[in-house]
Amino acid sequence: MEWLNPYHLQVASFVLINAILGVSMYVTLSTGQLSLGNAGFMSIGAYTAALLSTQHQVPIPAGILAGSLLAGAAGILVGIPALRLSGVYLAIATLGFGEVLRAVLINWESLTGGAVGIAAIPQMGRVILVWARDRGFSPESLGLQSNQFISMTVFLILLLCTILTVAFFLRLSRSRVGRAYAAIRLDESAAAAAGIPITYYKVLAFSQGALLSGFAGALFAHSTSFVSPGDFTYHRAVEILVFAVFGGSEHIFGPVFGAAFLTIMPEALRFISDYRYILYGILLVLMTVFRPQGVIDPELLRRFRRSGKGTPA
Amino acid sequence: MFLEQLINGITLGSIYAIVALGYTLVFGVLDIINMAHGEIFMFGAFVGLLIVSKAGAPLPVAFLGAVVVTAAMGLLLERFALRPLRTRRGASHLASMISTIGVSILLENVAHKIFGSGNHLFETPFAEISFTIGPVTVYLVQVVILLISLFLMVGLALWLSRTRAGKALRATAENLVTAGLLGVDTNRMITATVVIASAMGGIAGVLVGMAFSYINNQMGLSMGLKGLAIIIFGGMGSVYGAMAGGLILGLSETFMVAYGSSGYRDAIAFFLIIVILLLKPQGLFGQAPAEARR
Repeated sequence: MEWLNPYHLQVASFVLINAILGVSMYVTLSTGQLSLGNAGFMSIGAYTAALLSTQHQVPIPAGILAGSLLAGAAGILVGIPALRLSGVYLAIATLGFGEVLRAVLINWESLTGGAVGIAAIPQMGRVILVWARDRGFSPESLGLQSNQFISMTVFLILLLCTILTVAFFLRLSRSRVGRAYAAIRLDESAAAAAGIPITYYKVLAFSQGALLSGFAGALFAHSTSFVSPGDFTYHRAVEILVFAVFGGSEHIFGPVFGAAFLTIMPEALRFISDYRYILYGILLVLMTVFRPQGVIDPELLRRFRRSGKGTPA
Repeated sequence: MFLEQLINGITLGSIYAIVALGYTLVFGVLDIINMAHGEIFMFGAFVGLLIVSKAGAPLPVAFLGAVVVTAAMGLLLERFALRPLRTRRGASHLASMISTIGVSILLENVAHKIFGSGNHLFETPFAEISFTIGPVTVYLVQVVILLISLFLMVGLALWLSRTRAGKALRATAENLVTAGLLGVDTNRMITATVVIASAMGGIAGVLVGMAFSYINNQMGLSMGLKGLAIIIFGGMGSVYGAMAGGLILGLSETFMVAYGSSGYRDAIAFFLIIVILLLKPQGLFGQAPAEARR
């Protein structure tokens, strides 16, 4: 069980949170809207969940739900005026939304703790361990130390959340809603002419993305037990975008792969730690030059599926 | 007090305007947001710092050095991060934005590696010289910054409107393919645009060093974000919009700090663009609505 150390599990947990964030970017992108506000929505989810559980003793699942819903509602509020914008305008306006929100988090000290943030947020794994201990269970009976058990529990919860999220949006992409998204992405005017209510679906996609970001933020708060405005900067917003664009934004597996690869790579490159972000930058440039549609595109998946069935490609 | 703040605001605003001009030139010609511009600006500041403090050379040499280095960076940026995407079919504008983000991450961390993360003191030989006109104290540094900015802005506007090269650049901005058909070497014009924009960023870097008397490797990001906000506010691709937007932002930040709360200073830029985008999405000086610009 040596490999099962909390460090590996923590990296794996971040992969999963980032995968949900990547999917949140994918959902908004799937209607052709480029939003850089997801770090902001993430902070809404994280702070809501953190404040509810630290100051009002709300149970963790209820806090996570409230955080996600609040972020989704904020997504509707931002998404409606954002309809007037497209392309880089939308990107920078939503980036602006995130920065204004961060300034509020830093300055509203009585509520948010200012630049220091909120500490001692109940950690999911620890809460479950205490709950299990009270019922006479000890992690040692599974051959696990308690910190291994805590990290493992967090990982499993996040894995479940990620699988459910991906399954939901995979299903969605084959439904009426998903087809409407695809139609809007390909050609908005043609979609409108075909009778698709553009406004409804674009706002829906935007708030779904916001809700997912808030969900990821709330999970983040209860996994790390600490949040501060520094977690939701421009860098985070760009990172989320890069997950989707690097991995590929045409299929939901793209951002999931992008999140996994780009989260693990800097950790794997730790032995050259001083240069890893330099390499990260170079890698991004090379990727966009040689494979601008992202690593995973529908064609690649088709080829996989075909070779999986044993028929010649 | 009011007049002094006004002068501070105009000084800051003119630096913002020069940073924003770098963005707007590249966007005007290529329809690309150059996310690495802030980092190129930061390198300009550091090159200036090295020349003034470490080599002890006079300020004009610092400007020259900053221009040479940042122009070279612009050249490399265009050659390796933008041109390969341009010749490839089906590459979206999003892709070129990502590749410049890659360059910005690269440069930020290279700067961190070379210069470290702390603040560096940027000493200007005449930093303490000031003179008093009536009740107002003006620093010589502010005058120099204003003059250089004005010179750059007027020079750029004249170059764009009066010279043959400027005309070619405007034609390229109007329509890349048509300009090419009419005999404009568009690749060269694009390279020239990115190089000029980067060099202006380098000059702005040295100006910021003079104005704030310290620099660090994070300044590219905050200045870059403000530059982006300004070009949205002023209208994408509009040279006059960038100038006006820069001044408005510089003034509103200065007065916010002087008469309001300093905590929200860095959020003003984005607050401004959210307001302008709701009222007039094409920006102050933008020509066509956002949707029509394809």
